[in-house]
Amino acid sequence: MRINVITREGEARLLHFTNGQTIMEALRDSGLDEVLALCGGCCSCATCHVYVDSAFMDKLPPISTDENELLDSSSHRTDLSRLSCQLVTDEALEGMTITIAPED
Amino acid sequence: MDITFEENPHATGRSRAAQPANVPDDRVYQVDMYALDGIEEGYHEAWKRIQQSGVPDIIWTPFTGGHWIATNADTVREIYRDPSRFSSEVIFLPKEAGEKYQMVPTRMDPPEHTPYRKALDKGLSVDQIRKVESKIREVSVGLIDGFAQNGACDFSEDYAHVFPVHVFMALTDLPLEDVPLLHRFAKMMTRPHGNTPEEMAAVLEAGNNGFFAYVEPIIEARRGGNGDDLISIMVNADINGEPITHEKAIGLISLLLLGGLDTVVNFLSFMMLHLAKHPELVAELKRDPLKLKRSAEEMFRRFPVISEARMSAKDQEFKGVQLKRGDMILLPTALDGLDETKNPDPWKVNLERRGLSHSTFGGGPHRCVGMHLARMEVIVTLEEWLKRIPAFHLSPGATPIFHSGIIAAVENVPLEWSAKN
Repeated sequence: MRINVITREGEARLLHFTNGQTIMEALRDSGLDEVLALCGGCCSCATCHVYVDSAFMDKLPPISTDENELLDSSSHRTDLSRLSCQLVTDEALEGMTITIAPED
Repeated sequence: MDITFEENPHATGRSRAAQPANVPDDRVYQVDMYALDGIEEGYHEAWKRIQQSGVPDIIWTPFTGGHWIATNADTVREIYRDPSRFSSEVIFLPKEAGEKYQMVPTRMDPPEHTPYRKALDKGLSVDQIRKVESKIREVSVGLIDGFAQNGACDFSEDYAHVFPVHVFMALTDLPLEDVPLLHRFAKMMTRPHGNTPEEMAAVLEAGNNGFFAYVEPIIEARRGGNGDDLISIMVNADINGEPITHEKAIGLISLLLLGGLDTVVNFLSFMMLHLAKHPELVAELKRDPLKLKRSAEEMFRRFPVISEARMSAKDQEFKGVQLKRGDMILLPTALDGLDETKNPDPWKVNLERRGLSHSTFGGGPHRCVGMHLARMEVIVTLEEWLKRIPAFHLSPGATPIFHSGIIAAVENVPLEWSAKN
C-alpha cells in the first residue's frame, strides 16, 4: 500500500507502508531524514508534524490531549496538522497525500 | 521474591507506619524509597529488584509514612493518565512533607491546572527551545573545552552539575552565584533528610520556603516588564484572562527553578556512566548524527530519575485492593522504562528499538513541561562531547555513589580519555 508525500522542498514521493505501521515509522524507514521524529513515537517531541489530506480527515484517529498540546506548540499548526506518529496506517489511507510541515 | 519480608539493611532508625486495615498482608513489602535495598549497585537496579514475577501490580510499604507503590509499566501509566481517580493533590512522599509542598501547578488537577500549565508552556514549547539552541550549545562547548585537554574530569561535578544549571540560569536571567543556594533548596525538597515523616516534612518545608523567599523580589521586579527570559514570560501570562496572582506566581516560578535544577543534572550522569562502560555504543552514536539525535528518547527510557506520587481521589477498588481516599501511590518511573514486558531486553540501550515505552517525563496533564529543553540538552551534550572526546572510559577503581528519592542522584563519575584524540 502507499501514500503520497510532499517533502519540504516540494518534491512528491511515493511512500510504501505495511498495515499497522505508523506514518512516522514509514517515513523513517523510507530514509526521509527531514522528518526528525526524535521521540520515536512517544508523542512527546512534535518533530513528525505533517499536513494531512482533508478528504481523509474522517478516516484518521481523533487527536489526543498530548498530541493537541504538542501541535499547539508549533508555529506552523493548521486545521490539517497531525503528528504522523499517531497515525496508524491501514488500507483506508491508500492514496492519501501528506505534506511534511516546516521545521519549528 | 527474596525482598518480600527481608529487613532492609539501610532502614535502621527509619520510622514505619502501622499497617492500615485496607492493606492485605500479602501486599506488604519493605521498600524505603529514600534508602532502597541494593542502592549501592545502582539506582535502577535497586528499583528493578521489586519488579519480579509474582509481585502484585501495587504493593504497600510501611516506610516513608506508609504508601502504595505501582510496580510495572501498565500500572504507572494508568495512574498518571487518570487524574479523576488519581489526584495530584499531594505528589511528594512522605505525605506529611508533600502537604508542605506549595509549588504551582503540580498539586492542581484539571481544569484549575490548565491555565497555569499554559503559562509554563509559553516559555518552554518546542519552538521556544529551538530559539535558544545556540545559547545551550555555547554553554556545553565552553564547559567541555575547559577540560578536554586534561584527559580527565569528574563528569558529575564538572559537567552534569554545571551545564543544565548554567543553561537554566541563562534562560531565566538569574546570576550564577545563586546556584549553590538554589541547589541546596532543591535537594531539601527532593531528597529531604530525616528519619520520620515529620522530620522530613520540616526539611521539605524549609526548602520550599527558601525558594519562595528567593523568587519573591524577582517576580516583583519582572512583573509588567517586557523581558524575554522565562520568568518574565511566565509572570506576565494571563490566567483565565486575569494577571496571575502574586501568590501563585511565587509557586509557579519556584517550580520552574526546582524542575530545572536537579533533573537533567542527574539524568546526564547516569547516561554518561553507562556510555563510559559501553564504547561500542559511543562509536555507534559517533558514526551517525541522525541516530545520535534520535538516541535521546532511548536514553530517557533507560535512565528514568523521578519517583513521585499520586493520591487516590476516592475510595475505590484498584488492581485487587481497596484504596481509601487520601492513600498515596508512588510511581517509580524506572519501573515503566525498565519493564521487559514493554521494552524487551530493557537494560540494553538499543538505538534501533521500536515502540519504546517510558514515563520518564510522567504522563497525563502534568507531563514534564521541560521535556523539550531536556531533550535538547541531551542531544547537544552528546554532539559536542563526542566531537571533542570521541572515546572515554570510567577511571579505574571508580566507585559511583547512588542516592534514591523523588529524584535519583549519582555522584562520583570520574572519566578518562586520551587527550590527543
